[in-house]
Amino acid sequence: MKPLHFTVNGKAVVTRVAPRTHLADLLREELRLTGTNLGCEHGVCGACTLEVDGAPARSCLTLAITCEGAKVRTIEGFDDDPVMAALREAFSEHHALQCGYCTPGMLVTARDIVIRLPQADEARIREELAGNLCRCTGYVGIVRAIASVIAARNSAAGGR
Amino acid sequence: MSTTTPSAKRPFGVGARLRRKEDDRLLRGRAEFVANMRMVGMQEVAFVRSPMAHARLLAVRKPADAADRVFTMDDLDGVSPIVANSGLPGFRSAGQYPLARDKVRHVGEAIAMCIAATRAEAEDLAERVEVDLDPLPVVADMLQALEPGAPLVHEHWDRNAFLETRVDDNLDDVKRRAAIVVTRRVRTARQSMAPIEGRGVLAWFDSRLDQLTVTSATQMPHIVRAGLSECLGIEQGRIRVVAPDVGGGFGYKGILLPEEICLGWLAMKLGHPVRWIEDRFEQLTGNANCREHHYDITGYADESGRLLALDCDAVVDSGAYSSYPFSACLEAAQVSSILPGPYVMERYRCHTWSATTNKPPILPYRGVARTGVCFALELVLDAIARKAGREPHEVRLENLVQADQMPFTNITRKYFDSGDYPECLRRAVAALDIPKWREQQKKRLPDGRRVGVGVAMFCEQGAHGTSVYYGWGIPMVPGHEQCQARLTPDGMLELRIGAHSHGQGLETTLAQVAHEILGIDPARVRLIHGDTAVTPYSTGTWGSRCMVMSGGAVASACKVIAQRVRSIASHLLEAGADDLVLEDGSVRVAGTDHALTLREVAHTWYRQPQRLAADVDPGGLEATSGYKTTQDTGTFSYAAHACAVAVDDELGAVEILDYVIVEDGGTLVNPMIVDGQVYGGAAQGIGTALYEEMPYDDQAQPLASTLADYMLPGATEVPAIRLEHMETPSPLSVFGQKGIGEGGAIAPPAAIANAVNDALADLGVEITESPITPRRVLAAIAAAKRGAS
Amino acid sequence: MKAPAFGYERAHSVEEALLFYASGDEDAKYLAGGQSLGPLLNLRLARPSMLIDVRSIDELRECTQTPDGLVIGAGVTHAAIEDGAVPGPVGAFLAVIAHGIAYRAVRNRGTLGGSLAHADPAADWVSTMALLDAQLDVRGVTGERQVPAESLVEGPLATKLAPDELVVSVRLPGWSAAARFSYYKFNRKPGEFADAIAGFAYDPERGVCRAVIGATDGAPAVIADALELLAAAEASEAAVTAAGFEPGSFEHHVHAVALRRARDRLIAR
Repeated sequence: MKPLHFTVNGKAVVTRVAPRTHLADLLREELRLTGTNLGCEHGVCGACTLEVDGAPARSCLTLAITCEGAKVRTIEGFDDDPVMAALREAFSEHHALQCGYCTPGMLVTARDIVIRLPQADEARIREELAGNLCRCTGYVGIVRAIASVIAARNSAAGGR
Repeated sequence: MSTTTPSAKRPFGVGARLRRKEDDRLLRGRAEFVANMRMVGMQEVAFVRSPMAHARLLAVRKPADAADRVFTMDDLDGVSPIVANSGLPGFRSAGQYPLARDKVRHVGEAIAMCIAATRAEAEDLAERVEVDLDPLPVVADMLQALEPGAPLVHEHWDRNAFLETRVDDNLDDVKRRAAIVVTRRVRTARQSMAPIEGRGVLAWFDSRLDQLTVTSATQMPHIVRAGLSECLGIEQGRIRVVAPDVGGGFGYKGILLPEEICLGWLAMKLGHPVRWIEDRFEQLTGNANCREHHYDITGYADESGRLLALDCDAVVDSGAYSSYPFSACLEAAQVSSILPGPYVMERYRCHTWSATTNKPPILPYRGVARTGVCFALELVLDAIARKAGREPHEVRLENLVQADQMPFTNITRKYFDSGDYPECLRRAVAALDIPKWREQQKKRLPDGRRVGVGVAMFCEQGAHGTSVYYGWGIPMVPGHEQCQARLTPDGMLELRIGAHSHGQGLETTLAQVAHEILGIDPARVRLIHGDTAVTPYSTGTWGSRCMVMSGGAVASACKVIAQRVRSIASHLLEAGADDLVLEDGSVRVAGTDHALTLREVAHTWYRQPQRLAADVDPGGLEATSGYKTTQDTGTFSYAAHACAVAVDDELGAVEILDYVIVEDGGTLVNPMIVDGQVYGGAAQGIGTALYEEMPYDDQAQPLASTLADYMLPGATEVPAIRLEHMETPSPLSVFGQKGIGEGGAIAPPAAIANAVNDALADLGVEITESPITPRRVLAAIAAAKRGAS
Repeated sequence: MKAPAFGYERAHSVEEALLFYASGDEDAKYLAGGQSLGPLLNLRLARPSMLIDVRSIDELRECTQTPDGLVIGAGVTHAAIEDGAVPGPVGAFLAVIAHGIAYRAVRNRGTLGGSLAHADPAADWVSTMALLDAQLDVRGVTGERQVPAESLVEGPLATKLAPDELVVSVRLPGWSAAARFSYYKFNRKPGEFADAIAGFAYDPERGVCRAVIGATDGAPAVIADALELLAAAEASEAAVTAAGFEPGSFEHHVHAVALRRARDRLIAR
């Protein structure tokens, strides 16, 4: 076990961790932040996507010990974020979730798309979603939800 | 786009596009999936699994320093094998021990279980367990399995087949008359259902209640309880099964798991909680368990393409064991009963084999056999159309059951309850605009790719009940579905059902049903499900049944509550019960503003019983009521799928350019949720059509072990599907609703394959195997070129 | 599955990383983004005794233009390259390549040097850096050297690098402003590993025309003088055969198509 100091959802965390423990397991099993779901543990499905230092990352491919000094934000850490609030609203409105297992990772990726690619059209949204698998929705509602949030932000920006 | 419109008095009732009540917790990461639960003193379990497909299990050696943390079948005293027999004549029976005994019969079969404080440490321990296996000849392919002299998966059998079924008919006359005869060999790959959440079990023993609690990601908690009781040898009353939030089912979680038995036994043996969470490697390598069919099918038609008869030999690779409760032969038996699809024909012959192989035991995946059946039949119909020189949809229009024939009993005695099948196809064809694509086809796409169009149709039996399942003779026969409804003292409505919702949105749609009957705000309705301790018995969530069956049960129970509310309010309001209406959360004297809220009625019943009439119904504001459809042959939803594809004939890549679905699900309780079910099903169907395949080598070794090898369709592979609804109410259900949960997954392989074949028709290419991978497309093109030269 | 147990040290300089290696055993491995190593660890296919984390080494994240060309730090992430960290026309080409690697969440952590050292033949940088005639600056316990990208890979997940050698940077020759590049990747889904890769790099000012055939069984096949290939599409077949693919096979076919399409793309530029 090795010492680890980092920030999770704005709170300083000091803990000890086995080097082999990936970030998702540390968050879920030790810190009891279970919103980050594990789907494959080899980086393909995207269910475990969260934010490390402001950018989406696979928590199954991120060893917790490598997060020394990092700022980690999980799905539980976005409750005061207006973009996430808009996405949550849009996901519900467009029926962008069914079982909800992929949803936390999907939302983190969606938020990155909205902020990083304000001009993204449907094709680009789909391409950027390629790393987040959903087995329930056929992606229809997810794509619509993200597009609607982008459109709303652009029209709000244009109105200023 | 037609959809049911809710009434002004029932704005959130049947037909309302209500946002889902379950969304908030899921969007905030506050769901309770089984892997999210920890208990004090809990240990993690890792399984030692067989690396071989068929071998004698000679010995299992536990590490000396950890022998008390490793368990084999020999340790599991009192545990019986899983037995899932079919009552159909000729079924060959074989039990499945939850941990292998004497033999292993597929890669991934559990041999031993190891416990430790963390999963990683449990896996460390599992690596140290030594297993002596003596390899046996492997049955890797279903056709090989049926060959005389093939090695036997179960030695006490005479043949590697759980079951053979025959529907025989004399085809002589048809053979004489048929101007068109088309014979095809059709094959569909073995798949993994791959819900994003895998399976998972948390078991613990409550000594106060003398009760084993098994929390499991399951679609059918009551069936799991029954199965655990049978295998663990303890009374059902001493077992509680809880299905918490479940991350997708699709059939993968419609089973009594060996792991549930193992962990149940462990929890009782050790006295502390134990947890096992399936990982993706386990799932892919040990549980690819669906869809693998083989057809030798012949269609006979007249010169215009009118179908005269079908003749089919169908084999389903049923794997090594018979899974509980659906058995190893539901799939093949279903093939023979549904192969004719929505079409009319004079004669029909079908033989099926549930072949036994050294692969994981088959489970019914969304659509069950229909996806394979639709693929085989619709390929044959297109081949007939090509021979007749006609557009495939025109040939289909004449072969479909016509609207004026409804209700219709088809050649396998399926009772099609309602609908207009030809109109559905016409709408799909019109929406796709086939003439536009035919023009495009002539000049190809600007980048040189070919264009093809394809259609496919199916009808889907849903919510079928007692007589149908009794006929199959499996361990589970659904009867009445029940709901327990209760108004709480503050006027909330609690609904308890035994089925489970894991994405279908029952917490919302059943609240809509309650609103429809009682006028109560859906926000004041709570659905309680997924716990055998507090819900009525149910066979669970499968077979596109919940909206019809649980919906019917909720309506039935709410009607009882409505009656009781009227009776109590009649006394309090001094009005005739028949003059009272329930709306807006109140009970009102019709045409007046003289009313009591449900809260006031409930408060009176529970807290002020002195105000009640002397002859008040002592059953109060709580009622359990059961429901069956008026006849249990099932609702038949149906759909036409039509698509245009681009085929890169140099690389073999297929892209879906447009995809149209016209679906008739009867009355739509929540159109938004119905759309979601259809889109999601279609995405899985696209996976079946183009991407998903678990290849095995000749030793039945699975060749994909990650989601990079086993490809699930993503947002770039699933197009923006265009969806239209027809709404022909079912005469059999409460609101006219039909089961639609599986339909989307049925037709895409057929529609896409037909489109690909259409694109390549001038090369003489016809692909009859799914998934349609670049490798298969190029091989078919090369074969056609060799054939032509 | 969970990773097997291993030790861990975090290095803040290349020297420190080498020191950690020297003080450990030969089963130690350098860890950069971990996006390729991670899945292997989680499948227990990789079993290092110790991981030496090089993510905190600032030197590895630099990207500089030199008179001779470009030097890209091995620790630069795919996402940084996608977002334009590398200047000039080569940078624009690399941005397109980077965009096609896996998914953004992976690109945010995965690094250029890590991908090269991992040496999956189907990975994009292996082929791209060979195409661009890059040299890897490598430092080991006993010294430093340069390894041509073209001859780095020896087989699937096998390179010419010694276990102690750390890729420090990737050095690209000075492609002129007139240079044109093309790349064709055939894969079944965005982000998935390629079934076939082909690329062209043509710099008329320097008189250089190179082509690459990637996603092979081992090292990418580089055609150092690809002018003839550029002139005649039919030459693709022979080039793919020369790269070791069996005529008539699926692999031969799709590589030949990819090569022809990469050529067409270059000509169209």
